[in-house]
This record gives sequence, C-alpha cells and structure tokens, in this order.
Amino acid sequence: MRIITNNLRLFWQGTLLSYIALFVWLRPTTYIASKVLMPLAQILFFSFLGSYASGGTNVDFYVIGNAIQIVAVSGIFGVTLSIGGDRWNGTLPYLFGTPANRMMLFFGRAFMHIFDGALGVVIALGWGALLFGLDFSQTDLFALGITILVTTISTCGLGLMMGCLSLITANVMFVNNTVYFLLLIFSGANIVLETFPNWMQIISQMLPLTRGIASARLLISGSSLAEVTPLVLGELGIGIIYGWLGFYLFKWVENQAKRKGTLDLV
Amino acid sequence: MNTISVKNLKRIYKTTTGVIRRKTKEVEAVKDISFEISKGELFGLLGPNGAGKTTTTKVLTTLLIPNAGEVKINGLDIVKDANEIRKQIGFIFGGERGLYWRLSGIDNLRYFASLYHIEPEVSKKRIPYLLDLVGLKGRGDERVEGYSRGMKQRLHVARTLLHDPDILFLDEPTIGLDPVGAREFREVIRDLQAEKKTILLTTHYMFEADSLSDRVAVIDDGIIVALDTPSALKKHVRDLSVVEIETFGIAEIVVNKIRALPFVDAVSTREQDQRQVLLVQTERGAEAVPDLMKSLEGQRVGRVTVREPTLEDAYVRLVGGKS
Ligand SMILES: Nc1ncnc2c1ncn2[C@@H]1O[C@H](COP(=O)(O)OP(=O)(O)OP(=O)(O)O)[C@@H](O)[C@H]1O
Ligand SMILES: [Mg+2]
Repeated sequence: MRIITNNLRLFWQGTLLSYIALFVWLRPTTYIASKVLMPLAQILFFSFLGSYASGGTNVDFYVIGNAIQIVAVSGIFGVTLSIGGDRWNGTLPYLFGTPANRMMLFFGRAFMHIFDGALGVVIALGWGALLFGLDFSQTDLFALGITILVTTISTCGLGLMMGCLSLITANVMFVNNTVYFLLLIFSGANIVLETFPNWMQIISQMLPLTRGIASARLLISGSSLAEVTPLVLGELGIGIIYGWLGFYLFKWVENQAKRKGTLDLV
Repeated sequence: MNTISVKNLKRIYKTTTGVIRRKTKEVEAVKDISFEISKGELFGLLGPNGAGKTTTTKVLTTLLIPNAGEVKINGLDIVKDANEIRKQIGFIFGGERGLYWRLSGIDNLRYFASLYHIEPEVSKKRIPYLLDLVGLKGRGDERVEGYSRGMKQRLHVARTLLHDPDILFLDEPTIGLDPVGAREFREVIRDLQAEKKTILLTTHYMFEADSLSDRVAVIDDGIIVALDTPSALKKHVRDLSVVEIETFGIAEIVVNKIRALPFVDAVSTREQDQRQVLLVQTERGAEAVPDLMKSLEGQRVGRVTVREPTLEDAYVRLVGGKS
C-alpha cells in the first residue's frame, strides 16, 4: 500500500513538474489568453464558414465539431512539446540515465494535458452556447463529460506517438501542424464523414477524435450514454493503441540512442 | 574488490554523410580499453579532444552499449543490469545543458528526485542540504534560465548527489568555471573523496588531475597510453626540463623547426592573450636556450624561463604534443 501511494505521489510530482518544465506557453497570462481565445477563434471561424456554406441550417454541427477538435491543441501540440522538449533541454541523457520507471515517465508527460485539453473543450462549448445558442437542455452532461475526457485521452495517445517522432525527426512543428490539420479534415469536425470517399472514411475511423465528435453531437441532441457507448469505447481503444505504440516507440528510441550514440539524444 | 572493472572495451560509431549517395563511416572511438578502479579511488581520465573519454564515460553510465568487452560496476553487468547500476551511480557531462530552464533550481532537483524514486520526505531534507553544499543556498527558488553557467554546473552536482550514489562519473565538470568556482568545485570533490566515493574524473586541467587523482589514465585515439599515479607519470619526464618561451604571432612552421631539433623531446604551445608560449621539453635544460634562440631568430620573443616538469609535461610527452 505504501509503495503504491508513494509511486502515485512521485508520479504526480513528476507529472506536474514536467508539465511546467516542458510546456512552453505556460506564462499565466499567455496561458489564460490562449485557453480562452484559441477556442473562440476556431469556433468563430469554422462555424461561420460552415453555416455560410450550409446556408445556416446546421450551425450546431460545426460548433460541436470544432469545440471537441480543440483537444488536439493540448493532445497534439502540448504532448509533443512535453516529449520533444527534453531534446532541446538536453535532458535526455540525464533522463535515460535514471532508473525511473519508463512507463510512468512517458505517460506522465501527457497526464496534465488531458485535463488541460478537457478544460479547453468545456470553454469552447461555453462559447458555443454563448454565441451560437448551443442548447444543452436535452444533454446527458455526465455522458458528455465522459466523452470529452475519453476523447482527450485518445488524442493525447496520438500526441504521445507524435512526440516520440519528434525525438527522431528534426522538424517538430512541421509534424505537429501536419497532424493537426489532418485531424481537422479527417475527424469530421467540419465535414460530414459520409461525403468522404471510402478510403478517407477508413482513415477517419483509425484516428482519434472522429468517434468522440460523433458521440458529442449525438449526446447534445439528446441521445443517451448507452447509445454512444460503442463510440466512446472505440475512441478509448484507439487512444490506447496509439499510446502503447508511442510507448514502444519511446523505448525503441532509447534503445537506438544507446546502440547508435545518436548525437543529440545521449 | 574492484568497484569498476573495464575489460577490452570497444565502441564504434557509425555516421552517415551525404544526402543522395549516403556513405557510412565508422569511427573507432574506443578501441581496446581496460582498467580497474577500486572503492574510494579517484581515477583521472586524461587525453586530447576526441580521444574517447566521453565515449568511455557514456558506456560506464549505461548510456551507450559497448560493441565489445565487458564492463562491471559493483559486480553488475553494464548491459544486463543497467537499471540496477543507475541507482548506484551519478554522472555529470560538463556544461550547462541538461536542466529544465523553466523550472527553479529546487524544482529541477525535486523532479530528478522523483525520477530516482526518492520519497518526498527524504528529498525535502536532502535538497536544501545539497543546495548548501554546492553553494547555491538562497538561489534555489530562482529559475535556472537566470543562472550563470557556474551556477548551472553547481546545480548539476547537487542533482547527481540526490540519491547519494557511491560512484560518480564527472566528465569535465569544471569546464568553463572561473578559477574561484573551479577551486570551490575541487573542494566539493575532496569532500566526496573523504566520504569514500569512487570517482572517475575527466578533465583537461592537468593540475586538477594532479592534485585530485589517485591514479591517472592517459588515453589517446581510443587506447590507454599510460596508467599510473601522477607522481609515477611525472617520473617519466624526470630527466627533462621545460623551457617556456613567450612569443608573439609565431608561425607553425617555426614551431615545427624547433620540434625537429635533435635535443628537443616535445613541443607544445599555449595561447595566452596575444602571446603564444612555447613549451619545449629537453634534457639539456638551460643549456638549450641559446640554441633555441638561434632557431627563433627574427621572431619577437618575450620572457624565457626554465622549470621542472609537471604532470602536464608528462601528458604532452605521452600524447605527442598534440594538445
Ligand atoms: N555520437 C557520435 N557519433 C559519431 N561519432 C562520435 C559520436 N560521439 C563521439 N564521436 C567520435 O568519437 C571519437 C571520440 O569522441 P569522445 O567524445 O569520446 O572524445 P573525448 O575524449 O571526450 O573528447 P573531448 O576532450 O573533446 O571531450 C571522436 O572522434 C568523435 O568524433
Ligand atoms: Mg568529452
């Protein structure tokens, strides 16, 4: 029991400190501004664009899609920076030289971003209610909360994998932006998935966010938790797969660094 | 029992160059190195740039896998028991990188304490103690980005002592420190010696190696060319004297001319402000000065002194006056 609580405390301490250490936007004012304004910008832009294109009939579709899509900011950019940050801090040799439990170390990097991302979605949905009259009167809020959390977790899973890539490839920002925009297209935040050709739909189904967005749309329009459970579980499964792939990639990177003496890694 | 034992260690790097026609080049950074360090010993590792010192240290700290040979630390195998070894060793690779610049000094230590699985109760007491030890008392709350280079290096020392390791690997820990900082650092090392820590120290400062090391290995081009106590190494050059000649803007060709003189054993140069000091090793001592002056005709020459050889001179002799 003592070992478990100790491990948890260490996990928490490490998680919190690494979040502060590696998440570069964290100056209080900048952080709050980005947290509140970023969702606003994305929602305004795509919702107006979307409702203009669709003749104003389907604003909710865009508002909800983009609100959930906001998790990609934390899940992809935040997590990637948290993993890749050790490279430009030059801390990797010191990290790899510790006996630290690699799994705690790795998943700890994403932990805070889960809450950060979920908070972003809540703020974005708030903007949706305020500006576009998004209506939650039919919504099972508990189920929506679970959907948001699970979607954030699964996006962070992908982020962990991208973060490992950023340890190998030189251009972190390029990788990040590419993934962010791929998600923007393939997640169905702004496009009805059924209008995609088949191969694109398959890709959609293999990415995080897709099921989370679909689930949120259903829940807000009145569906029950039971109806969206398959979507939520699917979303979680996708996240776990990416997270584990990321973890193995991380171990592989460490191993390669020790084998090859890869310059900036050790 | 020996705390550290290295047998026939070999480490190769493969590098690829060229974008279209990729060529793979192999560098034998460490060719065949063997040595043993006993408990409580301070073992100095000297050698010119690129000799393989950092590579050796990285293998010993579990950061690189050897291509051949056997390395044991406290009887544990460096490859198989890497994680157990990591709990027992501390290491520093000189310089100011390797810290989280956005965190305060204390938070850096708290983070690494969590990576070493040190319980918060323990680290709460240990961190202030270590900050005091390395002379950062009262500065621990500041962000590392505002630290001077010396302060960052001090923080590295505190970091590596967090889990109170018995074995320390210090790769150029005093690089870039001012003379006072370097001296204080040596005091810390002496304290650690007094605590019977086993230490492998890499340095380019000969007097540092001389004053701290129990034994010194000189490594050149991936092999050990000498391994002995500092005083024994100095005996190799006992019969020699060193003539120091201050020059101004001397050309390499003149240096080579002097190196070729029959009574000259080795020549090295040391940059000093606008001057270059020629260090000429010769058995003839002061008698060599007139002949040396003749070779330097037409050059601007300043002070000339003759002195006893130091560990540095022994080192220069061993590695052929390269550095
Ligand atoms: N990651 C790497 N990839 C390829 N070659 C490397 C790598 N690290 C070191 N080398 C090469 O291996 C050789 C030994 O390097 P090493 O860093 O061990 O030398 P050193 O003795 O520590 O030198 P210095 O005094 O300059 O620190 C050099 O030729 C160097 O170029
Ligand atoms: Mg080195």
